[in-house]
Amino acid sequence: MALPRVPRPPTRGFALGNGLRVLLAPDARSPTASVWVWYRVGSRNEHPGITGASHWVEHMLFEGSPRYAKGEIDRAVVRVGGELNAFTDADFTAYYSTVPREHLEVPLDIESDRMTRALITDEEVARERTVIFSEREGNENWPEFRVEEELYQLAFREHPYRWDPLGRREDIERMSAEQLREYYRRFYGTRNALLVVAGGFDPGEVSSEVRRRFGPLPEGGEDVTVRVTEPPARGERRAELSGPGTTPYLQLGFRAPALGDPETPATIVLDAILGGETRLFSAGAGWGRSGEHPSSRLYQALVDRGLAVRATSDWRPRSYPGLFTVQAQAAAGVSLDRLEGAIARLLDRFAREGPRPAEMEETRTKVRRATVLAYEGASRTGFRLGFFSVLRSPRLEDEIFASILRVTGPEVRARARELFRPERRVVVRYRPTGEANGG
Amino acid sequence: MAEANDPLRIEYLPPVDGLAVVRQAPPAGSASFSATYVGPAGWGFDEDGAEGTARLVSQLVTSAAGPYDRVALARRLDRAGATLTRQCAPESSEVTVWGPADAWEKLLELLALVVQRPRFDPEDVRRARRQLVERQLRESAQPAHRAELELLRGIFPPGHPYHGTGLGSARSLTKLSRERLVRFHREHYTSGGGLLVVTAPARGEAVRRAAQRCFRSFEEPRGPALRLPRGRGARGGLRAVDLPGRSQVELRLGGPSIARCDPVFPAAYLANEILGGRPLLCRLFQRVRERGGLAYHASSDLEAMRLGGYWLAQAGTGAGRWRKVVPMLESELRRIREVSPTRREVDLVRESAIGEIPLSLETTAEAHELAVDAAYHELPEDHWRTWPSTLRSVRPAAVRDAAREALGTTGMVTVVVGPLGAA
Repeated sequence: MALPRVPRPPTRGFALGNGLRVLLAPDARSPTASVWVWYRVGSRNEHPGITGASHWVEHMLFEGSPRYAKGEIDRAVVRVGGELNAFTDADFTAYYSTVPREHLEVPLDIESDRMTRALITDEEVARERTVIFSEREGNENWPEFRVEEELYQLAFREHPYRWDPLGRREDIERMSAEQLREYYRRFYGTRNALLVVAGGFDPGEVSSEVRRRFGPLPEGGEDVTVRVTEPPARGERRAELSGPGTTPYLQLGFRAPALGDPETPATIVLDAILGGETRLFSAGAGWGRSGEHPSSRLYQALVDRGLAVRATSDWRPRSYPGLFTVQAQAAAGVSLDRLEGAIARLLDRFAREGPRPAEMEETRTKVRRATVLAYEGASRTGFRLGFFSVLRSPRLEDEIFASILRVTGPEVRARARELFRPERRVVVRYRPTGEANGG
Repeated sequence: MAEANDPLRIEYLPPVDGLAVVRQAPPAGSASFSATYVGPAGWGFDEDGAEGTARLVSQLVTSAAGPYDRVALARRLDRAGATLTRQCAPESSEVTVWGPADAWEKLLELLALVVQRPRFDPEDVRRARRQLVERQLRESAQPAHRAELELLRGIFPPGHPYHGTGLGSARSLTKLSRERLVRFHREHYTSGGGLLVVTAPARGEAVRRAAQRCFRSFEEPRGPALRLPRGRGARGGLRAVDLPGRSQVELRLGGPSIARCDPVFPAAYLANEILGGRPLLCRLFQRVRERGGLAYHASSDLEAMRLGGYWLAQAGTGAGRWRKVVPMLESELRRIREVSPTRREVDLVRESAIGEIPLSLETTAEAHELAVDAAYHELPEDHWRTWPSTLRSVRPAAVRDAAREALGTTGMVTVVVGPLGAA
């Protein structure tokens, strides 16, 4: 019997002689074309001293290349009505442009120009330093960012998931232009890149165009495999932060499997039951984590009972083992001790009793229905195809999807028992200092 | 028939008991559906001392309805692969359902149910109130949200529908009884003054029949009308709020502006796009971020609503840099008001705005936003089809003149929020 598959547009994949992998997903009806370049380079490839380098390089790739002076990349795309942006993650960096279909050559030209020849000048690096600081400062204004940064710092002592992709303040202050150029030269090359083109175009023509533009690029890109293994945790780790704000907040983290691990499907089901949704398979336009989920366990145990105003869980798909987190914002008058105790009891009970059959069925239905429209539009198709491909392959999505539909309640319970072991727990609590709020 | 399948055209159908009904074709190849109810239920209708009513009702409307308590409603949506979202604004509140196109009639029934028969279960009311109180506290302590609040408080006087962000205060929220919320719902989620926009693979007649079948249980057929107070002008001035311990200072400059129906709107739209509305190309981004390297974000916005509006220019920057950024924002505002932009700059921004229209047709949800916008402002059926020629008819001098009117200095407020003591 054929395994269930995610309804996905037909794709055509090939590799160029220089190692660049290409995926084309044509849709003759689409009024737009979306070009995504994914690099298997992210904050996992940094080390103390150059944390934030991937993110900074991401900024610099908009600041000029041989055919595009500073600002011209933005202008070239925006003047034809397109939109472009980029984002840096721990495992990858992605650049995308979506344009009216007749202008597809614009992003293809830009990406081929900056893949190996971005100009990272001293002057632009110096100017961008304050922009990067400003981006980090904007995030620091949120207690949630501070807590999460501390959580990963505590959970990982060796593995580079320890730092946030934005980088540490002291590294942003000191990193030189030459360090950024070296980082770019080492890792940004055809062997570490994946080009995805989705939307309205003729696949034969675009295939030729891609070969013409990207084929002559020199082969490059050092091995990006992370060889550091995080040693097992030998006990609970915790930290308490304090700062401005109004209500206490906490996050719990537990060592969790990587995207391709056999435990992943059960972990996803666990996330969906505890938090109400899962990043990979959620209905709607976003990348999951959108609204409230009154049917979820955490919501019912914490929000419904007046202990929290928000509560959810989150498993992030990662190349290497990462974290499964639980986060909650206390309701007025509820102490962090009481909130944390309620979460611990919920997780303990779930690990003992497992999910109810109805929860399993609801999760399967939810995941199955969420896939129906997962590939709507060229931009979302480019994102989704690229995401699974850069971390493994589009087939991985089908494998996980099929496994989620097969996974059993006892397997989810076993996963919870293993995941929520107290010695694997990391806790960061945020106590607002309760200072006046400016009158 | 070609027009009927054009997602850039909307079709005004005969109203259903006073409810305006609009149909839009989905983009080619789309397999999803969206429908939105817009009611005269914004926070501008909140009574004195009862601030937060509209937001609380908006939250509760999408929480539980008819036979569905909040858990059953969430499961119903999950089973359909659908989402229900809400948006509350000064003049109106929206509820949108999105899901697979083949289930559009069932999903329209669900939208009608939540809009017409929300439950207001006492426990839901208590929970939603707790959440809103906490959100109000959290946002008042967070520089970006606080800056927005201070800007609106600075531009518009108390009692004005646009004064504030509708979250109320812990005091006003605690006082809101279930009865008051039920009454607000009855009086504001109405057929008269309400609007239903449906983006579905169905002809107009089928959409109207479905609307007639689903939306016939409104208790109050007549919707209330919002009025802007006369003779209560903008206040202006500087508002500085010191929030110690934060990393970034948020800056907002803004003032009252025009309504969407104002004939000067297309030129004002271009003025704002040139100033700070068009990502990456705009002057504020270029000056503050690209040349100055002083901020991660710098932009402007023109909020043109049915009755009036406001404009704002904004940036977020470090505690030691905000004093450099404020004069930059001010000088760019002066320039857009005093000097006609070059034809080249106008052309660049205009063609970008025109060129992005196909991007709005990538998904049904995005196309639907265009339809809701056009229908809410009662624009012509072919508004989005003719928008390119409208923009192309605007001359550079008209952009400057529109900036004087729509991004003007009268009542201008400057807001600085963040760790000011650290500067």
